[in-house]
Amino acid sequence: MAGIVRPPDDATTIENAFRAHLENPFFVLALPPDASPLDIDRQSQKLSSMLAADLAEARRYATPFGPGERTAELVRAAVAELADPARRLTHEWWARGFAGAATGPEAGGP
Amino acid sequence: MYIGIDLGTTNSSLAVFDGQAVSVVPNAAGENLTPSVVRLDPRGNVVVGRRARAALENDPTSTRREWKRLMGTAELLSFGAGSGRALSPPELSAHVIASLLGDARDALGFAPRAAVISTPALFEVPQNHATVEAGKRAGLEEVVLIQEPVASAIAAGWRGDGAGTWMVFDLGGGTLDVSLLETTEGRLRVVDHAGDNFLGGKDIDQALLDLVMRQARAQLGSSPALRPRGTAERTGPRPRRALERLQVACEQAKIELSRAREAVVLVDAADLGLGGAAAQDSGPAPTEVVVTRADLERVMAPFMDRSLTLVQAVLEKNHRTADEVARVVLVGGPTLTPLVRARLGQMFGGRLAEGIDPMTIVARGAALFAGTAGLDARPRPSAAPARRGLSVRIEHPAVTADLEPFVVGRFLPSPGESLPARVRIERSDGGFASAPATPSPEGSFVVQVELERGKQNQFRLFAEDQARAPVALGTERFAIVQGLSVSDPPLGRSVGVACADDLVQVYFPKGTPLPARRMFVHRTAQPVAARDAKDALCVPVVQGESARAHRDRLIGVLRVRGVRDDLPAGSRIEVTLQLDRSGQLHARADIPALGQTFEEIVHLLVPTATVETVAREVEAVGRRADGVQRRAFEAGAPAAVTASSSVAGLLLEAERSLPEAEGGDADALQKVHRLLLDANTALDDAEAVLEWPDLQTESRRTALYYTPLVAAWGTAAEQQLYDQVLQAATAAEKARNAPELERQLEAMRAIGRASYSRNPRALESELDWVAAHVADAGDVARANHLVERARIARNEGNQITLRALVAEIWTLFPAPPELQQKSFGSGVR
Repeated sequence: MAGIVRPPDDATTIENAFRAHLENPFFVLALPPDASPLDIDRQSQKLSSMLAADLAEARRYATPFGPGERTAELVRAAVAELADPARRLTHEWWARGFAGAATGPEAGGP
Repeated sequence: MYIGIDLGTTNSSLAVFDGQAVSVVPNAAGENLTPSVVRLDPRGNVVVGRRARAALENDPTSTRREWKRLMGTAELLSFGAGSGRALSPPELSAHVIASLLGDARDALGFAPRAAVISTPALFEVPQNHATVEAGKRAGLEEVVLIQEPVASAIAAGWRGDGAGTWMVFDLGGGTLDVSLLETTEGRLRVVDHAGDNFLGGKDIDQALLDLVMRQARAQLGSSPALRPRGTAERTGPRPRRALERLQVACEQAKIELSRAREAVVLVDAADLGLGGAAAQDSGPAPTEVVVTRADLERVMAPFMDRSLTLVQAVLEKNHRTADEVARVVLVGGPTLTPLVRARLGQMFGGRLAEGIDPMTIVARGAALFAGTAGLDARPRPSAAPARRGLSVRIEHPAVTADLEPFVVGRFLPSPGESLPARVRIERSDGGFASAPATPSPEGSFVVQVELERGKQNQFRLFAEDQARAPVALGTERFAIVQGLSVSDPPLGRSVGVACADDLVQVYFPKGTPLPARRMFVHRTAQPVAARDAKDALCVPVVQGESARAHRDRLIGVLRVRGVRDDLPAGSRIEVTLQLDRSGQLHARADIPALGQTFEEIVHLLVPTATVETVAREVEAVGRRADGVQRRAFEAGAPAAVTASSSVAGLLLEAERSLPEAEGGDADALQKVHRLLLDANTALDDAEAVLEWPDLQTESRRTALYYTPLVAAWGTAAEQQLYDQVLQAATAAEKARNAPELERQLEAMRAIGRASYSRNPRALESELDWVAAHVADAGDVARANHLVERARIARNEGNQITLRALVAEIWTLFPAPPELQQKSFGSGVR
């Protein structure tokens, strides 16, 4: 085992990985994995405006692991992630895997 | 009113966007470009621009130019014996910005309070920080930075020339930026960019000057060999002035040769100490040296080769060909040179964007971006306007490509005031009216509006109460411009934390939109003594694309010291990094066990190399290059030889610049340092080729080990993902792509470990292993204690406790000290 195996993922690594799943762009934007570029653009603009207006309904989003806290940076990062085709594919894969399991406020999205 | 500033190495300009059109603000001399030159006259007054530049010839010691490369360094530029003062690069830039803002004030009738300032795409965090500082020193309240290629693409895209892939080729005074952009559905996105911080018009001017000097010597009958720089040619006041005059003359000749076939350069042979009897005979009269366009193209050829190599690399990295690029936007004065246009035209089938002034395109784009960001330059009202109605906050995009954006509003009633029952929004031209909407109990509403394409759309908000009577509002009107949307300025290089095992935890990958904030949990790799100010744990922050920390650039160090209790190794530490829109870095570390937060971050500037250090580095890189090339030949690895083929040229250029650096030229020092970084990167690539056979072996061993584990214990999803990763690894191996193969192997290990963890015997095997190696732990006593507790848990069949204890034991196994040292002394895992 010691030859090529490095120390396994500890709780820290698992926690960091969990946080990455929590911030899946499709969850952040409350969009389905097949959302079009126009859907993404429009929804992100709507959410950004709602956050700027400090609307409570925009501050939380639903994920399979419980609600997440939505921020303006997270919305921008989500848009950038989905604009990259390779990265979008990974996020789609994970989001489809968790499809229908979202819990928390705004399960249907604002 | 939105303002954009192009703060160039050679020239700067300012543009204004009024919501409809963009225009460049001329300076007091009526010119669109203000030379980035600052002079301190004998009375200590600051002179900026053309008048300062005119003094370069006669009073070069009191005049400074081309300091942009030194932004982010601690360098102070002195202004000679007359004033006795020294200014930092941000202070110099502040004077230029203040001059531009003064011109804007004269043109617009108000002093601008906010602006977007452009920076090269490869500017690092410390350099961006210095640029913001310069803007604030110049009197701006708000400064937002934009990368120059993004700005120029915005300016070119604003003409609505359709979708597709573009390239921006920005060859300025000191830097080259090559950017690949996409416009789809009205949204502009930077796909990738690369550049060279030491390739620009200035380098071409220097090469032309060298040619002129050689020709002058030949004409005067002295040796044509170049005399080393840093000698009497530069150190005396007369030779220095003569050299400055010659530099200006060469630059003018270069510009003239864009239109003419030849130009005459006057050389003060006597002042420059150019030997030969002819120089003596000619007396004070200057020597005329004729330079032809062919001469210029010959000296420019190596720079063009380097430029086009960079262009080709960007295309290949993004799996695109030159044929797929719809347009190439040219930016910067040097792109007016026929050779540049000819070579690029040849590469891209003539698809060069025409009709856009390459000298002011960046300022125009910056002004347009200011509009997108809503960065109004007009002064804020000093007092709140008299209240006329119900207060309402309206949020909407200032500029958008979407024809049906959302408008979000929130009423802010004072005590005694009621919320309206209904709202609606109408477009002032009568072309749109929304259906009535009911505000939420919070007083908010979200309404989708329709825009007229390509113009500023004016809207008015109406509200009425239950009785349908109009409700007076404090704010009713707003405007949205329909045009090109811009993705947030992307981060030029990845930023992350260097860990003790010399690996990087990436927080912000390259391309992350700014601003951005991210938190990761780490573990301390060493203990920290309580209340010991000297005992600090370092969290190094690095910038770069290498997974190995020591190959990236250290940009900051977060220090954890003065902890109130002893902090053992393996303690949880939550590190948050934040980059603002300008790329400025903020960092904090939270240690839950202590309830303490640490925000002491040392911002490291672009390292300023000393002459002694750099001279030793040149020797060291030379020795390393010899070693790598010897290994390459012995191994019969031509690919390694190819990978390191650029090193000889880089070292030669570094050696040529060393004497200049010895003469006190800070710019040359930085240039040498950068060249050595590039040489080391090329040697890293060559060594990666040499290590390829070992990587292939590792790939096979990893697959052999983990494939059965995943097959036996992995879930269906893990098995599917593992198959995909295996295919990707095979493809990477076939393409001999070492970084990609390393990434896929890491993914295989992660999936394999996750699968293996489902083996009921997995934990017991791990416990046996760590128990056998406990002497290697950083805290042996604690490790022994944990092993004992884990054995008890195992005997009791308590899997949950056993898992937690084994995980904790692993955190006590440190990285080897030499790795930790390599990783900037990182104290975190």
